[in-house]
This record gives sequence, structure tokens and C-alpha cells, in this order.
Amino acid sequence: MRELKITSVTLPTFTLVLSLLMIFLTPDVYSADIGNCLLCHKYPGLSRVDEKGKLRLLYINEDIFNNSVHAKVKCEGCHLDIQKIPHDPAKKVDCLAECHIKEPSSEQKFSHKDIEKTVAMSVHSKYDKDGKEKKFSEDLPTCKECHDEPLYRPISFFKQVRAGISELSLSRCKSCHKKEDFIYKFYNHVTSRMHRTRNPLNIAESCSRCHDDLQIIKRHNLSAKAAFSYGETFHGKAARFMDERIPDCLDCHVKKGDASHLMLSKENPESAIHEKNKGKICASIDCHPSASPKLAKYGVHSEFSLDRSPAQYYFTVFFIILTGGTLLPLMGIILLDLIRKLFPNAMIRRRK
Amino acid sequence: MATTENMSITPEAAEAAGDFYTYVEGVGNIPRDIYKHVKSDPLGDLPRYSIHIVTQHFLTFISFLILAATGLTLHFADLWWASFAISLFGGAETGRLIHRISAIVMVAASVYHLVTIIGGTISKSMRKRFDIKRTQIPLPKDLQDIIHDFRYFIGKEPYRPKMEKFMYKQKLHYLAILWGTFVLISAGSMLLFPEKMATILPNPVFFQDLARLLHADEAVMAITVVVFWHWSNVHLVPGRFPLQWSFITGRITREHQIEEHFLEYLNNLKEIPEEREYMKKILREKGLETY
Ligand code: HEC
Ligand code: HEC
Ligand code: HEC
Ligand code: HEC
Ligand code: HEC
Ligand code: HEC
Repeated sequence: MRELKITSVTLPTFTLVLSLLMIFLTPDVYSADIGNCLLCHKYPGLSRVDEKGKLRLLYINEDIFNNSVHAKVKCEGCHLDIQKIPHDPAKKVDCLAECHIKEPSSEQKFSHKDIEKTVAMSVHSKYDKDGKEKKFSEDLPTCKECHDEPLYRPISFFKQVRAGISELSLSRCKSCHKKEDFIYKFYNHVTSRMHRTRNPLNIAESCSRCHDDLQIIKRHNLSAKAAFSYGETFHGKAARFMDERIPDCLDCHVKKGDASHLMLSKENPESAIHEKNKGKICASIDCHPSASPKLAKYGVHSEFSLDRSPAQYYFTVFFIILTGGTLLPLMGIILLDLIRKLFPNAMIRRRK
Repeated sequence: MATTENMSITPEAAEAAGDFYTYVEGVGNIPRDIYKHVKSDPLGDLPRYSIHIVTQHFLTFISFLILAATGLTLHFADLWWASFAISLFGGAETGRLIHRISAIVMVAASVYHLVTIIGGTISKSMRKRFDIKRTQIPLPKDLQDIIHDFRYFIGKEPYRPKMEKFMYKQKLHYLAILWGTFVLISAGSMLLFPEKMATILPNPVFFQDLARLLHADEAVMAITVVVFWHWSNVHLVPGRFPLQWSFITGRITREHQIEEHFLEYLNNLKEIPEEREYMKKILREKGLETY
């Protein structure tokens, strides 16, 4: 469901596929059952150029969809406005809609409304403490700005912790449960929640669209290019290398035990990054268990730009000049030496 | 211009050529360009480094290369090649571990070096054989040598200066290594023991930032210097390519010794009787012996 730019290749392909589709679609298909969305949407070429001239791929990969956390939700459980086939242009999906699934422990219709409440308590709320709309509230993230459709990331513990499903665990479920589908789905459902659905790099990238945006930083008086500066420290570097043991944004910005979305401002005394709480994050059992609060003094969002840290900035410049300043003359000597080796007997002599 | 070919060697001629000849007791008048005529074994003819120095060089350069490879990969994590490189080291965690182990090797090599140098100096002084001219300590003569060499490069002098065991390039490089190792080890320890440093240092936040910058910048500088300066100067220039074997054998070729370390060669003549014989023989063959 990404937006693609039209290229000279995609446009003709798209037209071709669409016309082929029109030929093969019989009246029978048109009257298809409302649930059978993939009948059309399984075709990779199904796409459209929108008003802005961007190509939108309307193709749904069944495999990917079936491995996503929403696999059990029917298409029209989210695309509520699609009532008949062929259908009209669809409205945007509302993540807070009640879908046709029941949450089994309470038997209530399921929705993500609770998460909205948490987001509303966090720094990303569109409203301030007194319930007034914040300035530039359009900069604040909605569900869909932080989330794409996540895939299941199951892990297995059978002998060793490793990514993916363990055949051995599955076969154990099979001794009591009969339906493969059921076992597979719930194994995915449960084990995916035993670690983050996204790796630290993914999370950083989803925050970077706003937190590395200089205009948003300026408008909201933030002081750091947060995702960039994270990438400058070892935490972020290891995240680049797909290490999952290092802290991601949420490990530091959400207090242990709080809901994932409860990120708070550093000014908020309740926040994990507040001056007096900082030490506890570093000393977390999985990180630096023996750390004293001193460790938390170090900058985790260090950024060595001129306006943020002039001393460090000038220091870097000094070093670059030092490197260039020593290396270039030395290289000069080598070059002269080489040239001289080519003409060993050349001499500038004063005529007598 | 004086060369071995066009000078017949009477004492008067030697006198007239001034600097061109160096008279050595028991050998004769050695012309400055004799290195063009001597035989040299590429593996080295004359002693230069002790087995300790050779070992230290080995430890240092191996740990240096590993440190550079792992360090650059971590530092430039966001470049395209970094993820391939880190898989070579077995991931970020193992990469760090390798980096730290090599660091320990390098620190050990540095300590070993200091012990040899200081110990050697003391033992030589006791035997009254310490000669500051044969050390890495910069002396005013080095400045003269730079000027002389520069004049040679632009064609204003016919010959390289007569230099000691360590010439100005090597002294510069040695000093750079002393400084670089000091900076890298201290900045590296700040990164390795952040808590300890927070208790010791007055302004830990500032120093931590500084250490982070220093460690990376100094390392990048050291790597550039080693590649573009040390390797090209020592191993890659015509005449030395592909490698100067001194780093294994501890010996220097005769030709190189005479050309770049003439004064040390004179020491060799004093200390090694066979070398005296060899030089005499060459002079005789060239018809240059003094009577
Ligand atoms: C008969 C074939 C067919 C079936 C069945 C079908 N679609 Fe579509 N769908 C299309 C076509 C063709 C388009 C592109 C429409 C356009 O370009 O205006 C489309 C577009 C869409 C869009 C994007 C609309 C927009 O304006 O952005 C959504 C969302 C969508 N379909 C959802 C569904 C869902 C959910 C179902 C099942 C309930 C479904 N479709 C069933 C043919 C089909
Ligand atoms: C969990 C909710 C959910 C389910 C289930 C779901 N979708 Fe979507 N779908 C979305 C969201 C969110 C978008 C993004 C566009 C938007 O915000 O409306 C989207 C967009 C689309 C688009 C348009 C892509 C575009 O570029 O605009 C198509 C086509 C589509 N869905 C088809 C399907 C089909 C077919 C199914 C069933 C196999 C399905 N969807 C199931 C939430 C869902
Ligand atoms: C759509 C843009 C957007 C996205 C995406 C986004 N943020 Fe924010 N974030 C903001 C804005 C705007 C503010 C400033 C809010 C204010 O000033 O009230 C903010 C504030 C914050 C703050 C509080 C800063 C402070 O101390 O004042 C934290 C922490 C934060 N975001 C973390 C995150 C994390 C972690 C992510 C990724 C999971 C993320 N944000 C994704 C826009 C975004
Ligand atoms: C020893 C037999 C046994 C094994 C092995 C077993 N289950 Fe179950 N499972 C049951 C029984 C019996 C129930 C019903 C329990 C109840 O309702 O209290 C159940 C209930 C469930 C439910 C809840 C279904 C519902 O709608 O309430 C899920 C989900 C589930 N099992 C998944 C799994 C998975 C995944 C595995 C393998 C990792 C597994 N089970 C292994 C016997 C087993
Ligand atoms: C600031 C960005 C951001 C916003 C806004 C946001 N989320 Fe999340 N959400 C995250 C992150 C990051 C995670 C943790 C992902 C992980 O652990 O892999 C998460 C986790 C979740 C989860 C998994 C359960 C959990 O709590 O860990 C659900 C469900 C969810 N979000 C739904 C929503 C809904 C619905 C909204 C809109 C009301 C929303 N999110 C808004 C960033 C955001
Ligand atoms: C190791 C813990 C840690 C991680 C990981 C981390 N942060 Fe922070 N962050 C902090 C702390 C602590 C602060 C408080 C300010 C400070 O001390 O520099 C902070 C401050 C911030 C601020 C407010 C900056 C300001 O001063 O205006 C934002 C926004 C932010 N972080 C976003 C992020 C995002 C986005 C990520 C992931 C890319 C992230 N953080 C990762 C610990 C962390």
C-alpha cells in the first residue's frame, strides 16, 4: 500500500493489465460475493494514477496479508464503506473502527479505541493539558503516521531463541488441536508479542519522519534531530546492524510497565527521560544493570552541529584541519620524492 | 657535478669535491653516490631493528588493522558497505568484542615498546654507548635535513642529506604515532569505562562527547596517515615495492642505508668488520681506493 512514483515502465504495464482484466472479467465476477476482494485485488498490476500524478498500487499480496497481524480481519472489517461490488472509490480507513472481531476474554467487539486514549495522554496528543488544541496540531502523529501494516514476527524457544516458527513447537500444539490454521495463527499471535513487532531500526525510522524534520523541530521547540542523533551513538549504530538487544526509542521513552504509546515530554516529571528518572532507564536489567545515575548524564542524543554543541563542532573542525594540515605537506614531500626519482640527475645549476 | 664515474680519485680531487667524499679510517674515501654501485639483498644486509621492535611492529600493525576494520565499520554504520563488513565480524556485538581485544593487544604492544625503549636507553647509558643521534628524538639537524632534502627534490642539491639512523620523516611519523596512540588509548578508555570516567573527570558530559569525537577523528586520521604516508613511503615507492622486508627481518638493505641513513652506515662500518671489507672491495673494483 505504498505510493509509487510513475515510471515509464509502470504506466504501460498498468494500462495493459487493467485492460486484460476488463476483458476477462465476466458478469459473473461482477456479482461476486462482497467478501471476495482478492478476486480483483490479487492482480499485481491493479493500480491507479491519483490526482497528484502518483501511481497507487492497489494490489494486495495474499501471502503478506495472511502473515500480517490483521490476517483474521476481513477486508470489509476495515474498509467499512465498501458495501457492493463493483465498488465506489473507498474512504480512508479509520483505525479506531469496531471490526467484526470479538475480544475473547471480554466477548466485546474489538477496536483500538483504548490506544487512542493513551496517545491522547502522551506528548503526541493534539490537545494540551487544558484540552485546548495545540499550535501546529497537524504535525502530531495519527495512528497511520507511525504504523504501517506490521507482519507477524514469531519467535521460537524450543531449544534456542530464534526468529520464526519452530516446527517442533507446532507439532506439540498438533497433538491436541486439530486445525493447522488455528495453531499457526495463534502461535504467530502469541509469540509475536513476546518481543517488539518492529526492530529498533524500523521504530527509529518511523519516528524520524517527524523527529528529523528541521521544520517540525523548530516549530515545536525540540532541541535534537532525535533519530539522527540516535544514529550517531552506538545504540543507533547497532540498530543499523539489526542488533535487537540495544535500546530503541520506546525502551527509553516509555516507562517500564506503561503502554507503548505513553511517550512523555522530558519536562513531565512522570516521563522516563525526566532528569530524576533518567538513571533508572540506563540501569534497566537488560542494559547497564550496575549503572549509577551518573551514566544517565551522558548525551544519548548527541549531535555535533554548530548551534547545538559549538565546542565539539570546533573541535571536529580543528581535527580536520590538523589532518589535512599534516597530511598534505607530507604527501607533497612524497610526491616530490617520486618525481625526483624519475629524474635522478636533473640539476638546476648556475652557469659559471 | 661530481659522480663516481668522472672523478679520478687523488687526495686533491677528494679535497676539491668537498662533501662528496667521506673519508673513513681503514676503508678510504667513500663517494656519496656509492649506493648506486653496491650489492643489496632485498631482505636486508645491515642490522636495524632488534627482535623486540620487530615483534612490537607485528603486534601493533595486526591489531591496528583489525581495530581500523572494526572501528570504521562501527563508525560508518550508515554507509552501504558497513552491514556487509559487520557480518564478517559476526555482528555488532562481536565486532565490538574484537575491537576491544585488539585494543588490549595494542596497549600491550605499546607498553612492551616503552619498556624496551626505556630499558634499552638505561642499559646503553650504563655502558656509555647511548648516542642521542641514533634515536628518534628530533634534533636541529633534522630541520637542516628537511631543507636540504627539499632542495634536492627541486634539483638544487645533487644528493640527499647525510642522515642518521632515523631521518626526519621517520621521526615525524614516530611522534605522530606516539601522540595518536596516546589519544586513542585515553579516548578509548573513556568510552570503555564511562562510569569510572564520570567519577574521575570534572565535566564528564563534555569529556564523553569529546572522547567520542576524538576517538573517531583521531582514528580516521591515523588510518589516512598509515595508508597514504607510511605505506606509500615505506613499502610502495619505487625501489621498495612491494614491501620493505625490514619489518620481518629487522635488517635494512645496504643501498637504502647508504642513501637515506649515511651517517648510520658510517656507524655500521665502525661496528661491523665484514662491512668494512665489503666497502673496501667495492672501492677497489671501482678504482676508487685511496693510497
Ligand atoms: C470487481 C473487482 C474488484 C473487487 C471484487 C474489489 N475491488 Fe477494490 N478496486 C477495484 C478496482 C478496479 C479499483 C481501482 C478503482 C479506481 O481506480 O477508481 C479498486 C480500488 C480499491 C481501493 C482503493 C480505492 C481508492 O479510491 O483509493 C480499495 C481500498 C479497495 N479497492 C478495497 C476493496 C475491498 C475491501 C474489496 C472487498 C470488499 C474490494 N476492493 C473488492 C476492483 C475491485
Ligand atoms: C486492519 C485494517 C485493514 C484490513 C483488514 C484491510 N485493509 Fe486495506 N487498507 C487499510 C488501510 C489503513 C489502508 C491505507 C489507506 C487508508 O488509510 O485508507 C488500506 C488501503 C487499501 C487499498 C488502497 C491502497 C492505496 O494505495 O490507497 C486497497 C486496494 C486495500 N486496502 C485493499 C484491501 C483488501 C483487498 C483487503 C482484504 C484482503 C484489505 N484491504 C484489508 C486497512 C485495512
Ligand atoms: C507525525 C509526526 C511525529 C511522529 C511520527 C513522531 N513524533 Fe514525536 N513528536 C512530534 C511532535 C510534533 C512533538 C512535539 C509535541 C509538543 O510539543 O507538544 C513530538 C514530541 C515527542 C517527544 C517529547 C519531546 C519532549 O521532550 O518535549 C518524544 C519523546 C517523542 N515525540 C517521541 C517520539 C517517538 C519515540 C516516535 C516514534 C515512535 C515519535 N515521537 C514519532 C511529532 C511526531
Ligand atoms: C495438551 C493439549 C494442548 C496443547 C499441547 C495445546 N493446547 Fe491449546 N488448548 C487446549 C485446550 C484443552 C484448550 C481449551 C482450554 C480452555 O478453554 O480452557 C486450548 C485452548 C487454546 C486456545 C484458546 C482458544 C479459544 O478460542 O479459547 C488457543 C489460542 C490455543 N489453545 C493455542 C494453542 C497453541 C498455539 C498451542 C501450541 C503452542 C497449543 N494451544 C497447545 C489444549 C492444548
Ligand atoms: C508516535 C507514533 C505512534 C502513534 C501515533 C501510534 N502508535 Fe501504535 N505503536 C507505536 C510503536 C512504536 C509501537 C510499538 C511497536 C512494537 O513494539 O513493535 C506501537 C504499538 C502499537 C500496537 C501494538 C500493541 C502495543 O501496545 O504494543 C497497537 C495495536 C498500536 N500501536 C495501535 C495504534 C493505534 C490504534 C494508534 C492510533 C490511535 C497508534 N497506535 C498510534 C507507535 C505509534
Ligand atoms: C538510550 C535511551 C534513549 C533512546 C534509545 C532514545 N532516546 Fe530520546 N531521549 C532520551 C533522553 C534521556 C532524553 C532527554 C534529553 C537528553 O537528556 O538528551 C531524550 C530526549 C528526546 C527528545 C526530546 C529532545 C528535546 O530535547 O527536545 C525526543 C524528541 C526524543 N528523545 C526522541 C527519540 C527518538 C525518536 C528516538 C529513537 C530514534 C529516541 N529518542 C531514542 C533517551 C533516549
